[in-house]
Amino acid sequence: MALLDVENLSIGYHTQKGYLHAVGGVSFSLEEGKSLGFVGESGCGKTTLGMALMRLLPPNGVIRDGRILLDGVDLLQKSDEEMREIRWQKIAMIFQAAMNALNPVHRVHEQIAEALLTHNASLDKREAYEQVEALFQLVGIPKDRMQDYPHQYSGGMKQRAIIAMALACKPSLIIADEPTTALDVIVQDQILKEIINLQKEFGISMIFISHDIAIVADVCHDIGIMYAGNLVELGSREAVFNNPMHPYTKALLSSYPTLTGEKSRLMPIPGETPNLIHPPSGCRFCDRCPAAKATCKTGEAVWVKISPDHKALCYQCGADCRNE
Amino acid sequence: MKMTNDKKAILELENIVKKYTSRGSFFGAHGKEIIALNKISFKIMRGEIFGLVGESGSGKSTAGRLIVRLEKPEEGRIRLNGREVTALKGKTLKEFPRKVQMIFQDPYQSLNPQLSVFDTISEPLVIHKIGNAGDKETAVWQTMKSVGLSPPDDFINRYPHQLSGGQRQRVAIARVMVLNPDFVVADEPTSMLDASISAQIFNILIEMRENLQATLLFITHSLSAARYLCDRIAVIYKGHMMELGPADQVIQNPKHPYTKALIDALPKFGLSDEGIKPYNTLLPVKREASEHEGCPFFPRCMLANTTKCSMEKPLFKKIDDSHWVACFYAKNE
Repeated sequence: MALLDVENLSIGYHTQKGYLHAVGGVSFSLEEGKSLGFVGESGCGKTTLGMALMRLLPPNGVIRDGRILLDGVDLLQKSDEEMREIRWQKIAMIFQAAMNALNPVHRVHEQIAEALLTHNASLDKREAYEQVEALFQLVGIPKDRMQDYPHQYSGGMKQRAIIAMALACKPSLIIADEPTTALDVIVQDQILKEIINLQKEFGISMIFISHDIAIVADVCHDIGIMYAGNLVELGSREAVFNNPMHPYTKALLSSYPTLTGEKSRLMPIPGETPNLIHPPSGCRFCDRCPAAKATCKTGEAVWVKISPDHKALCYQCGADCRNE
Repeated sequence: MKMTNDKKAILELENIVKKYTSRGSFFGAHGKEIIALNKISFKIMRGEIFGLVGESGSGKSTAGRLIVRLEKPEEGRIRLNGREVTALKGKTLKEFPRKVQMIFQDPYQSLNPQLSVFDTISEPLVIHKIGNAGDKETAVWQTMKSVGLSPPDDFINRYPHQLSGGQRQRVAIARVMVLNPDFVVADEPTSMLDASISAQIFNILIEMRENLQATLLFITHSLSAARYLCDRIAVIYKGHMMELGPADQVIQNPKHPYTKALIDALPKFGLSDEGIKPYNTLLPVKREASEHEGCPFFPRCMLANTTKCSMEKPLFKKIDDSHWVACFYAKNE
């Protein structure tokens, strides 16, 4: 059985302009010790999805439909109190803006000890600090910097502290939401390597959310491509990269400049992402899709299975995509 | 690739030094001097796209701000078309902002929320008293089309909050292009935008160079974006020039250990970047060398000679026709 099974999850926000369909009918599963990366542009619903898994949506967010099964137990049926137990113990999160995720008026090691003490009643303070020390060693923060305040840390160190906090209660699943977005490339590389090592060492499952497909490919076993609230392609990273099927995935891959190879002109995707308060009928990508046909606007969603570990959601051109 | 050597330099930076004095903390001593740029020199040739690459805090944005006269250097000279920028007076000073323009990083902050798209793009024409009402309208229309805001009628009366990030950046570029500038500084123009939208902006910048014969300084942290867009690249680190050369040469055959470390750090899977072998020039743990006289990259450099590199700062010197490096151990193989 998979560690995490998400079935037909639909999430939205009540806004002043109406109901916004942020995530529509997303299903996937994650095996123990594996990592799955979600890639998409801003507004595609990837962060909403991560927050929903933690049940940390803002007050105007609603989970309309679907199930989130962690070890076979539906998280959506849990009370807030029960959820608080599960968070950090079973699912932990590495937040997007590490610079703002730490409390500026408390010393860093106190904040992590606090997380430990809250979730483990039998632990006393001294033991908690010992564990914090071990965690800091694990993520590569020198011992003499433990008692510093967050403002004394560099961006990379803050991110390491956040990772230490996520690991504190030995969760079985970590959700990392753009953990390196604000960092310079060299620091980013170090943090990503750290995350990969820790994930392997402890066999933690991970959901990794990023706008940068190259980073996700470096870190994750599987990749899910999201567009306008839908999961449009899912597969092993090799399959998605070497044999992208969905027109959006193809377009996304050809809009990144590369370091080597032919310096061909980038092919930007024309147009803009659709408004999700009034999402278009049919395929949400069809207005920007070079392969769109008239039936794309009316057709039914079809998951096309390309190989056992690779599928794409293309509304009508399923057969065409395969033949290309 | 175009040969840029025989062309005339449009912009020259000579030994530029820019210092900031930190305000200091509430309790602590204040007035600590920070050197943002330390003897930076380079020339940009007419018609080229020149990339300035560095990490945050490297001084790359400061260099851009000095060029457009938003700030003044402590030492050194900046010359545009042979004229010293800091010494401009009177009419030539008034002319300067028409010739040199800047595209800022964040289109959410660089546009006035109270001005419509038309007012935003026509404002520079009003300020510089260019053309009559009819001319202005045609100029705005044409510029909007060339940055892909078409049909212009759909956008002309909108306000910034009614535009997406990509559209805002197009408006910001249109506002620059409408003046027909000679020189444009683009400071990380796509760092706030999604990949597919950045690619649109890159292509607009390339077209701008072709159509307006403008020269561009492209400031970025991304080597791959620099490779795509630029003819030549300069890599700076902590305010020091590290390497300068034709874009492909710097990226495919980097000479400076810092450039190599930057390339190592980029994610490589897929995107045809696989198979690049790592250079491994970055020390896993920094050397203890807080106040040293030598190479700025010395504390992190794997290849450094502990005595020479820590005592003496390597000169920024030519290793072939077009490639400059500041490293004792850089050779032309």
